[in-house]
Formats: sequence, C-alpha cells, structure tokens
Amino acid sequence: MAPLTPYTYIQCPCSDASTLGRQADSNSPRSPDDDELDDRAFDPRAPRSNYSLYPLDYLNYCEDCQQIRCPRCVAEEIVTYFCPNCLFEVPSSNLKSEGNRCTRSCFQCPICIGPLSVTSIESPPDPSLLAAPDGAPAPHSGPYILTCSYCNWSSTEIGIKFDKSNSIHAQLVKLNNGGTTRLTAKEHRERRKEASQDRLAGPPSALAAAASNGGENNEELDLETQFANLKSFYQSQLADAAPGGSGLSSLNDLGFSSPTSLSRIMSLYTGGTVHNSRNKSRTGTMREALISDEGLQIASLDESAAIQHLHSIDYSETITTEQSTNQPPHLGEVHPHGTSRFASSLRPIPYLLRTKRSKRCPVCRHIISKPEAKVATTRFRIKLVASAYIPTITIRPLNIPSSSTPGTLPPLQPSQFILTFQNPRFETINVTLATPAKTPGRFSSKVTVLCPQFEIDANTDVWDEALKDTSDKTKLRRRGAAGDDGTHQAEAGKIWERGRNWVSIVVEVVPASLRLDLLEATAKEDEDVLEIPMFVRVEWEVDVGGDDVGTAPSRDKEQTEERELAYWCVLGLGRVGQA
Amino acid sequence: MSSSSSKRHSILPPISQSGPKPPVQFSSSITIADSALLTGSNPILISSESVIHPRARLDSLSGRITIGRRCIIHERSTLGAVGTSGRITDKAVALGDYVTVEVGASIEAGDTVIGDGTTIGVGAKVGAGAVVGRNCTITARSEIKAGEVVEDNVVVYSNGMRRVDRRGVAELRNKGQARQIGVLRMMIPSNPAKFQ
Ligand SMILES: [Zn+2]
Ligand SMILES: [Zn+2]
Ligand SMILES: [Zn+2]
Ligand SMILES: [Zn+2]
Repeated sequence: MAPLTPYTYIQCPCSDASTLGRQADSNSPRSPDDDELDDRAFDPRAPRSNYSLYPLDYLNYCEDCQQIRCPRCVAEEIVTYFCPNCLFEVPSSNLKSEGNRCTRSCFQCPICIGPLSVTSIESPPDPSLLAAPDGAPAPHSGPYILTCSYCNWSSTEIGIKFDKSNSIHAQLVKLNNGGTTRLTAKEHRERRKEASQDRLAGPPSALAAAASNGGENNEELDLETQFANLKSFYQSQLADAAPGGSGLSSLNDLGFSSPTSLSRIMSLYTGGTVHNSRNKSRTGTMREALISDEGLQIASLDESAAIQHLHSIDYSETITTEQSTNQPPHLGEVHPHGTSRFASSLRPIPYLLRTKRSKRCPVCRHIISKPEAKVATTRFRIKLVASAYIPTITIRPLNIPSSSTPGTLPPLQPSQFILTFQNPRFETINVTLATPAKTPGRFSSKVTVLCPQFEIDANTDVWDEALKDTSDKTKLRRRGAAGDDGTHQAEAGKIWERGRNWVSIVVEVVPASLRLDLLEATAKEDEDVLEIPMFVRVEWEVDVGGDDVGTAPSRDKEQTEERELAYWCVLGLGRVGQA
Repeated sequence: MSSSSSKRHSILPPISQSGPKPPVQFSSSITIADSALLTGSNPILISSESVIHPRARLDSLSGRITIGRRCIIHERSTLGAVGTSGRITDKAVALGDYVTVEVGASIEAGDTVIGDGTTIGVGAKVGAGAVVGRNCTITARSEIKAGEVVEDNVVVYSNGMRRVDRRGVAELRNKGQARQIGVLRMMIPSNPAKFQ
C-alpha cells in the first residue's frame, strides 16, 4: 500500500448549522452557550464530512464576517466569458443569440478533442507548385480544411472544405456533412412555394414529381426547419383561435373593437365562468401537427441502413459515448432519431466558452475574490485567501516505532508527530487546541496533544528577524529543549520549537489495533487511515481604527479589540499497520 | 556546418563506445552524427540520404538492423533495444523508406518491421516482433505491444486507440521529409568514417 502523506483538512463552518447563526453577530463577545456547541466533537468519517473538509489552499476568508468560506458556500458571479482557444472575450449579450461556444474559428477534433488548425490544401496535383522552391503553399491557395495534428483527422473525412480561412464557424453552420449547403428554414419555405406554384401551373408530370417530393407527409426535416414549421403552425393556430387571457402572441388584434379584447373584457365583468367555458371550447379547436409542413416528424425506426453499414466497417469507426456527447447540436442535422453512430459523420466541435468568476460571501455579500476582467491577465483585484488569515498546519513524523509494513504506524505503540503552526497574521496570535481523547470511529486511537495552548509571534518582516540580536533569538528557540540539543525530549505542556512566526508542538497517538474487529472480514476503505479531529481556536488583538466601520461600536474604551476564530480541522497522520 | 567556429556542446558526459564495433554498411549519402551510438555484433545497414541524429542508439546485438532510404532517426531514440523477449533473430529491426523515429522513441529487436513513410512519435515504444504498416502514425508516448500488427495508414493515438488516416498525404509527407533531410544535412556534421 502506498504510504500516506500527512495532510490537514479544514472544515468550513457552512456545513454546521449551529455556526451559521453565529456569523451574524460574530463581533459580539461569545456567550458560554457557544462554547457548549463547540464541545460537540466532529467526526471526520461522518458522510457529511466529505463535503465540508478542504485543504487550506481551497478556502477563502471573509474579512467582514471573519469566517472561513469554502467553494461550496460562496456565491459566484461571472465576470467574463471567453474562448479558451483564441482568448476572445465574448460579450454576455452575444451569449443569448450565439450560444456558449466560440463563433470564430476555434474547433476541437471530434475524434480526440485536440485543437484543430485551419490549413489550406493544395489544389489537385499542381506540378508547378510542387516544383516551387521549398514547395510552400502559395498564400490564398484556395480551399481550407480543419486538421488535427495529433490523430490526423481532417474535415475532408466528412467532406467539408471552406472557401475562406477565417470565420470558419459561420461557414460550417451552412454546410452539411458531405459539403452540401444547408437550406435555412426560410429557404425551405421558398423552395416549397416554388414547387407548389409549379404544381398549379406546370404539366401533370411536374405535379407528380412535386407530390412525391415535397407533398409527402414525412419529408425529412432538419432540426431548424422542423422547429420553424412547428412554431409557425402553432402560432397560426393561436392567432386563429384567439385564446382569451394569454393572447399576447397575437398582439396585432389588440384593440377595443377586436373580438379578443371584447371577450377579455366580458370575462372580467362576468366573473370567471364565461372565460373558463370559452377557454375549454378553444382548447378543443387546437389540433396537432399532421404533416411535415406543420412540423410533424415521424421517427425513422428503420435502421437497416445503419446495420448494413456496420457490417462493412471496423469497430474503431463507430463512435464512443464520449465522442457522441461532445458533439455540439447541429441545426442542419436530421431529426435526433437519425443521430449517427459512425465516426465518419462527426463534426468539429466549436470550443465551449469559459468564464472568469468573482466570489461573494454568502452572508454579508462582500466580494472575497475578483479576477481582473481582462482575459489574458491572471491577476486578481481582490483575493482573500484563508492561508493569509489562519495558521498553516504542517505535520512531520518525530518518533515512530518500526512497523511490520514500512510506511505505516504500528498499532498499540505510541507514535509522535510534530505539528508546526505558522502564523500569517501581523499580530501575535494565541492558539488553543482541543482533540477528543479517542478518535471517533470503530477503531479509536488515543490522542494526546502535549502542548494544547501556545502563542505564535506575529508575521514580521523577515529582515527584522535576521537583524535581531542573535543571543535573543537562541533564547527564544528551543524552549522545550531539556538540557542540550542531544537529548531533545517531548515534554507535556511545553512547545517543541519556536521560530519567527511559527511554533511546533508534539502530538502523541496510540493507534488502535485493526485486528480487534476480526468479526468483520475487512476494514472499510481507508478505515486504516488515522485521522484526528482537532478544534483550533485562534485569538488575537487588533487595533480598532476609526476607519473600521463594520466593527462593534460599543467598545471604544480601549484601543485594541479581542478577535477570535475557531474551526475544526482534521489531521491525517498515516495508515495504521497490522500488528 | 563545420565552417562555423562555435560548436554547440552537449552538457551530457561523452558516451563511451563500449563493446565491439558492429560491421556497418553505409550508403555514401547518409548523415550520421559523430556522437551516434552504434553497438552490437551484427551488421547495421543504412541506405541513402538517411539521417542519424546525435546520441541515437543503434544496437545490433540481437540481429541485423536495416534502415531504408531517407529515414530520420532522432536523438536518444533506440533501435534494436533488447526487449523483454530477449529474442535473437536474424533481422532485429527493419525500417522502410521515409521512416521517422522521433526523440526518445524505442524500437525493440526481434523481427520488428516498420513500413515506409511511418512516423514513430516522441517517446513511443514498438515491441519486439511488431509489424507496423506503411504511412502509419504512432503518436507520442503510444505503445505497440510485442508481436502486434498495425495495418497501413493507421493512426495509433490516445492509449492505443486506432483510426485510419484518410488524408492521403503520404506523397506530401515524403516530400517534406526530403526537404527536412536537406536542412539536417547542413546542420549535423556527419562522420561516417568513425563507424567504418
Ligand atoms: Zn463553506
Ligand atoms: Zn475562439
Ligand atoms: Zn484529433
Ligand atoms: Zn462575509
């Protein structure tokens, strides 16, 4: 088993209902009840804990609420939409009309999702061109294709070539696989009109042709045409039926003399009865689409062609589920029932747009993270990360008896770990730690924090520290040292080591034996990981300046004010080995 | 070219030519870097206009190595590596014409055949006895297992997925290869005499 690297996860207060109420008045002094709430031990193995524990780097901090904020409890706002490929910033107004994909020339390979590049293809064997020095294709040399330089896919495989090297997206929308131009719904209608005119005026042969071609009830429509047909069909029905109440679709007959308005006024004065009965009769007159002209599309369940094709190709030429879901909707596609299962019909995927988001505190609505709006910059205007406010905890093994399995903690024997707390604040902080004497869970290990209360110096300038008197520094360090450095022993109530803005303490654990529970055949997943829930309380004093509007106004007798932050965290120390 | 006074030097320690010098059969038009590494006891054949980059390793310990015309063998690639099979055969590795073996790629020995116009990508691995067809592309870091057969015009990508290359650009690719060799010949000082 892979040895486990010690870790520290911090619980966001948002997962605990009891702490939510406290946030509103976090500045007011704590009542004894609050401490009682804190006494409830936190179980890192509880199913809920999966959703509330985060490494310190994932957490934000709200300065106004003085509370930790995790990715789950912040409110996000989109600052910018942009294409990850060309880094073009898309105005949010364009999203509604053009969708959430890049509409320039950025495409992903439908086979391997690699980026596609636009290349010109040399027009069919041109000896003069090949003989040219260096053979470089002449500029503007004609049709362009999209190619993938990784899996060698090219748009020629679906028969698509482009006339221009720019605005590929607009060109692609108008092309069907095979290179045929897609007719828009409007063009479809015009074509149909022509056909019907022909039918009226033309000779009988043309009439028959038109009937078999356009007049059939089950003409194949692409998605856009079908939608347009359905829409116009129902809109015309709505206009005919002139429904009461919600007749907004027929704005043209809004007027005092129009029958719709009259009936609406009637129903207003006569109560709901007339209106209701009328409405019922109206719904009866609405009919469903019956022919393709009206938007009816009969599902084609005949798959013999696909099966036939499947016989002739290789398995690798069918598409995977992933490739299929990556396919963007194509308006020129025939009804979804006809969605292909073959790689030969996959279309290039326009890049999905990405966003830059700012984060707000859910309680006070203050912004806690805001990136620079420009796409190309990675800077942040505001970024309140938790690691700038709460101490970092690092774990290091100190004294671990040898185990039968290397990299594990031997059960029933005391192991010692050094916890180093680093203070990021510019104030001296007081840290109080509390752990349950026994870890929760089926295998409970004994835990002893040798020094549960200590002070960490402020995060001062590194150079100040360096220029300080060295004798003073040595006095500060190794306060826990008993005698000379050779016999450095962990002692209860004393810190292990101290530095500029950090303090190390020792934690002793006696892991439980996993064999105690032989009745259950195997330990559950990761049940052998020794995790210690630890309650951390940090207290510090701040200068109360006049500019600090949000802080408690009642206590202005002193220049400084007590602040505190308390949270649960989990220390993952290692795996417990077999005895 | 040799006329330039400031030569680029590798920071790696010089490779010691250990073991016996293999019998070689070079075409007069090949380009082989001074620091290419040729070992083994079986013959190594390199056909016209092929380029062997510095620190490419050709090992004929387990059989003959044949390199076709206008091939490019890049740096730190290995031809004839004795793979897990450890088989000793008459023909260890045979490359067709216009084959490119990119940086760090490895082709194991044991009747391994690479067809004309095929590219073996960066860090890719071709196992002993594999037969790769013509105009194939083995993408970077892909692996062809020992004894596998890859048909003509196949692209092996993304952990062994395969597809057929329908671009039909083999001719163009070969022309590009020829041009590239033209440039490489000017940039790599050739020293075939060292190996003969
Ligand atoms: Zn949260
Ligand atoms: Zn783009
Ligand atoms: Zn691709
Ligand atoms: Zn807040």
